[in-house]
Amino acid sequence: MSFLEIKNVWKSYGDAQILERLNLTVEQGEFVSMVGASGCGKSTFLNMLLGKENQTKGEILLEGKPLIQEPDEERGIVFQRYSVFPHLTVLQNVMIADEFSAAKLLGFVFGKKKAEIKAKAEEFIAAVGLTPALNKYPHELSGGMQQRLAIAQALMKKPKILLLDEPFGALDPGIRADMHVLIRDIWKKNNLTIFMVTHDIKEGFELGSRVWVFDKLRHDPQAPNAYGAQVTYDLDIGSEGNKSDSKMKIDELSATSSNPIMQEEQA
Amino acid sequence: MNKLKLLLVLAALFTSQQSFAAETKDKFSVCWSIYVGWMPWDYGDSSGIIKKWADKYDIEIDVVQFNDYIESINQYTAGQFDACTMTNMDALTIPAASFVDSTALIVGDYSNGNDGIVLKDKKTLKDIKGQQVNLVELSVSHYFLARALESVGMTERDIKVVNTSDADIVAAYSSKDVTAVVTWNPALSEITPQPSATEVYDSSKTPGEILDLMVANTETLKANPNFGKALVGAWYEIMEKMQVDSKIRTEMAVASGTDLAGYDAQLATTKMFYTPKDAVTFTADKQLAKTMEYVAKFSFKHGLLGESAPDFGFIGIETPAGIVGDKNNVQLRFDTSYMQMALDGKL
Amino acid sequence: MKRLMNIEPSPALRGFLTLLPFILALFAYSIASEARLAENPHDKLLPSFTQIVDAVDRYAFTENKRTGEYLLWQDTGASLYRIGLGITISAIIGLFIGLCNGLLPIVRSGLSPFITIISLIPPMAILPILFITFGLDELAKVMLIIIGTAPVIIRDMQSQVMQLPKEQLIKAQTLGASTWLVTLRVVLPQIMPRLLASVRLTLGAAWLFLIAAEAIAAQEGLGYRIFLVRRYMSMDVIFPYVIWITTLAFAMDFSLRKISEVCFPWYHQGAK
Repeated sequence: MSFLEIKNVWKSYGDAQILERLNLTVEQGEFVSMVGASGCGKSTFLNMLLGKENQTKGEILLEGKPLIQEPDEERGIVFQRYSVFPHLTVLQNVMIADEFSAAKLLGFVFGKKKAEIKAKAEEFIAAVGLTPALNKYPHELSGGMQQRLAIAQALMKKPKILLLDEPFGALDPGIRADMHVLIRDIWKKNNLTIFMVTHDIKEGFELGSRVWVFDKLRHDPQAPNAYGAQVTYDLDIGSEGNKSDSKMKIDELSATSSNPIMQEEQA
Repeated sequence: MNKLKLLLVLAALFTSQQSFAAETKDKFSVCWSIYVGWMPWDYGDSSGIIKKWADKYDIEIDVVQFNDYIESINQYTAGQFDACTMTNMDALTIPAASFVDSTALIVGDYSNGNDGIVLKDKKTLKDIKGQQVNLVELSVSHYFLARALESVGMTERDIKVVNTSDADIVAAYSSKDVTAVVTWNPALSEITPQPSATEVYDSSKTPGEILDLMVANTETLKANPNFGKALVGAWYEIMEKMQVDSKIRTEMAVASGTDLAGYDAQLATTKMFYTPKDAVTFTADKQLAKTMEYVAKFSFKHGLLGESAPDFGFIGIETPAGIVGDKNNVQLRFDTSYMQMALDGKL
Repeated sequence: MKRLMNIEPSPALRGFLTLLPFILALFAYSIASEARLAENPHDKLLPSFTQIVDAVDRYAFTENKRTGEYLLWQDTGASLYRIGLGITISAIIGLFIGLCNGLLPIVRSGLSPFITIISLIPPMAILPILFITFGLDELAKVMLIIIGTAPVIIRDMQSQVMQLPKEQLIKAQTLGASTWLVTLRVVLPQIMPRLLASVRLTLGAAWLFLIAAEAIAAQEGLGYRIFLVRRYMSMDVIFPYVIWITTLAFAMDFSLRKISEVCFPWYHQGAK
């Protein structure tokens, strides 16, 4: 039994077929980068893993059990934006994760319990390098710092899967490089299973241990929505050797790809 | 410099309406509001009778209907109109108390049952003691209530007045909080048929105290007697016709939102002075001076004569039978001379 | 010379320009008032400033002969109580229903169209029904304010909740929050400053309904007094009352804004 099994999953909105015939397995500790053109269904797939959307057909098994079809603690998420709570300070933003489970009714904890949660939160904040901003509100933080905060928040729950939805898409290149170092570090230290959607293929290769390319294999020019996308390439780049080989391969592939957006992004 | 000019223009705009008061002129405006005794003005306007009389005296009279009675009097008092319909009490407390010298040109009618006190689930006026009474505060209803209370040895201290807009008084009666109302027709006739309602007192018990008048600015009238003549001439022509012609009364009925039967019912509780003779006789009677004294006393007690008024006689009221109050400060005049001209056929 | 649209007034000039319309209005008024009073010293339409000051003194600082009360304060107390109670209840109803509507699709599909329709009914047009249902006493006045303002607040709150980024709500769920905890810790605190903003905007309507209610049936209150003295055209009383109402309305608006700024600094410093 694999950690995550995707068995013949289809997804459609009315007549529009988004995804079709997905059959994939992922093991614990993998970092899957999902790339593809806009509208190729990679975000839809991420949302299915998140529980925000449900597949039309097929099943997704997490540790052998069907994935719960609404967001829960098993899956952490970092969005491109708006993942942190603007009305809470950095510390409160991270503490709230444990307060939710510790105080089901009141939503707030007191005394010793609070001190425990605070200590834990401070650890995670330190891990993402936000200790100097402990009592600041999100609007006082830069975009990169906000994303660090979102990551710290998600890590509090020790999720089985961490989902990243274009987490660095809105950041400046320099900051993005710092974030890459951070996320790789966190992935390795915590043995996380990560799925990341990204527009930036380079980023996908740099961070991922595996790269999934979403694309439509079948095209009907009369009815562009008739067929859904599939994972056309599933590249294992876990080891450095593999990585450079695959990189060359994808360069070659995208150069001949029928998809213009793919080329553009590659360029 | 320009600013100063602008200001002067503004100031001129503010004041322009007032300054014509004493001048001779040939354009006049009259305002009225819907009430049984004033519907003839509407008919006079629509039938062209007023225009006919104005033409006769070579003037123009513009007739304007107001939906808001008080606003019409306020506008008259501010100088926007040369004459306006109002009751004797409001003539004293609004224009006269603002020192806008006013003349009751036509005494049209008095309420003879058109105003009433209605109690819910109680049978006699004495039961009003201790109740909250909904009425238009400081209006003739209020005065009428005070007179009614006097008749059974009570004063306003025995009740509690709740100011209630006349437009909403019928709906107010339906509410469970309201147990006593004082109002006039047509609202009164909407309330009295309700099973819980008993009309314990009405204005026919104090006849001749609530008068419906056409009041004109005294200075304007003095400078332009033709204006008075035209109005009075038109009025008695309408009076003569409406008495005999039910079609005319139907027109008035529709304009006041009822039908002929409803309008005739209201007329039955209104003592109309159809002839100038009736009006002159009533106005010349000593009783009118007495009535105005009651009204002045009530108004003074409620502060309606202004804060500077030392007593009820502060504003002088001239009646044919004599002056009530300060002879040197007459601001309200009951003048029979124009009605007398109609009586003598001199119009 | 810069373009007109690019010219910023200096602080001194700005202060002067702010005051200028007020000064002009007062000046124009005093000229007009003097002109009318010259014609008739007892004119009541545009009383002089002395007459207005006298009226203020009579109503605010002198015991009323008949009742032994200070009328202005009595009226103010009655009106503030009504508007305060009305707008508070409106805010609570608006917050509760708006929040449920915004957050819970199942409630929204049941209530939202109904409330939209209700909010479009002009309450003044159905007064008789309100009288029969709620009577004519204090309750009725407060109810008129509630009926006039609550639907607006409900709709505003609903749309504000729905405008919260979905990402936040999902994030909270991935942190293990139940619907209740999302409401309590994520939605409610973020919606509070928006509630205060909404209340500020509906205050104008609330005053309108209060004065209408007091004009219809009352024994005291600012609106009652204005409509009563209008019967003998005491503009010397009406002007100070109008200015006083404006002042109260401004003070309420100002204090709500300050409360919001103190309690929800994150909202006012550009975080949305």
